[in-house]
Amino acid sequence: MSAPLERLVEIALRDVLDPEMGRSVVDLGLIYAIASTPEGKVAITMTTTTRGCPLAGFLKEAVAVAAGAISGVTSVEVALTYEPAWEPAMIAAE
Amino acid sequence: MPMASLSRWTMSYFAAALGFLLAAELLVIAGIGYPGAGLLEPATLVVVHVVAIGWLSLAMAGALLQFVPVLVARPLAFPGLALPALLSLLSGLLLLCAGFASLAGWTDWPVALMPLAALALLGGFLLLGLMLVATLLSARPVTLFARFVLIGLGCLLVTVISGATFAAILSGRGDWLGEIALLPAGLPFHALLGFGGWLGLIAFGVSYRLLVMFLMAPEPPARQVRLVLIFGGLGLGLALAGLLAPLADVGLGAGFAVAPLGALALASAFYGRDILVLYRARRRKALEINMLASIPAFAALGIGLPLLPVVTAADAPESWLAASVFLLVFGWLGGLTLAQLMKIVSFMTWLETYASRLGRGPAPRVGDLVAMPRSGLWFMLYYAGVALGTVALAAGLATAFRYAMLPALIGTAGIACELMRVRRLSEIKAEQRPPFHEFPRLLLARAEERRQPHADDRTAANPRA
Repeated sequence: MSAPLERLVEIALRDVLDPEMGRSVVDLGLIYAIASTPEGKVAITMTTTTRGCPLAGFLKEAVAVAAGAISGVTSVEVALTYEPAWEPAMIAAE
Repeated sequence: MPMASLSRWTMSYFAAALGFLLAAELLVIAGIGYPGAGLLEPATLVVVHVVAIGWLSLAMAGALLQFVPVLVARPLAFPGLALPALLSLLSGLLLLCAGFASLAGWTDWPVALMPLAALALLGGFLLLGLMLVATLLSARPVTLFARFVLIGLGCLLVTVISGATFAAILSGRGDWLGEIALLPAGLPFHALLGFGGWLGLIAFGVSYRLLVMFLMAPEPPARQVRLVLIFGGLGLGLALAGLLAPLADVGLGAGFAVAPLGALALASAFYGRDILVLYRARRRKALEINMLASIPAFAALGIGLPLLPVVTAADAPESWLAASVFLLVFGWLGGLTLAQLMKIVSFMTWLETYASRLGRGPAPRVGDLVAMPRSGLWFMLYYAGVALGTVALAAGLATAFRYAMLPALIGTAGIACELMRVRRLSEIKAEQRPPFHEFPRLLLARAEERRQPHADDRTAANPRA
């Protein structure tokens, strides 16, 4: 039996690196939620470290591309949210 | 959410700013201005205005054009005014220096250049202010950060108008003022509003936001930051009162300047405490060059600003006042600006070159664009020059001060070269460089040519479709 799609998406998102820190969007705590349907539709809720981040659009697209490349994913929706606002405590311990 | 993007002309502002810093350092080394000449002599005023307007104001303007939209998450208002503002400021500053040169008797150009210079400077700063105020007020509620910038811009307006009035007086066109004597009594307050308000208070406000981002540190509580704004605002309000007192025929006495300086020193003490907490609480353990090279700048603030009211109150020798001001202007404001330029230029260059490659294979990190440890060496030279210069000024050693500026000049030139190398991607391996026609341009961001994905869409398209 294959791993749940959410888990595979999360693994894929570990390759999307923040260009400042060199750590993944998952490690930085920017990915708030990953949900999938049995048909392979994936919905990702994410944030950026600061509202108005010039990278926001690029990060969002990179997340969509990385998730979309997984076998079994039929569509990806990425939503950007600032509720709750990101804070440094959300970074995973190294 | 509207998308903040690259400010097209910021690199041109930075290049002009660095050119003026190098020019000011060369002037000092050539022995032009204080301490060879008096504090209020035209030769000193040339150097002071090349530093204040040419170097610090242009760098601050370029940085604000990029960061105000990012920090309030709104697009820059009237972006088409950035180039006219720059050209107006450049011509105003050159005319002003020409006016001082004729006052000094170096040239026989008409002193009528002075009001013309003031007009061009006023025009340039008004255009800049229009862009920034409209951007700040387009985001509601008006944040604490925005209040720092708005008060700073208010100080800028008063500084420019008072400067324009001084220019009219100096060029013999101040008859309309009647018996009101604004010079030289108003000069300290003009300088205080410019350096302390426009450059200083905004540096306080912007650094709170940038340090939180650069250090990955928790935001300091708003009530603490508000204290800095309150005492800073009080100090600048008192400076404004000092400037306007002659108009109301109120005599404040020579010692009045101690009051605004004391309030500003208190503001900086609260600010310093917050900065220390930000450094200590950071999640980003390894400090990048911009944050390392900012430490001596914060130290210069910590030494220089508490000294100013003491030196003023104690009626200490002029050389002590000059040394404290030099330490604040070159050590704190200048050092902080140089340090953050490394970050801003490398981040903007990365954004232009590599942002569209994000998540599509290997790409360099922002920090990879900067040559280390070489860049650190240039900062050490710069700060060594500033430290030696401060001591030489305090000791009244004019020749030693000139020699002390030599390492600062070499350091500045080194930093300017490193910034050009960042723009040219010199530190990046050949296989990670874009094709030549996609290289960042030295002075101009490709802000409009390279469209970025829209962040305001709620969803991204199916990438496999």
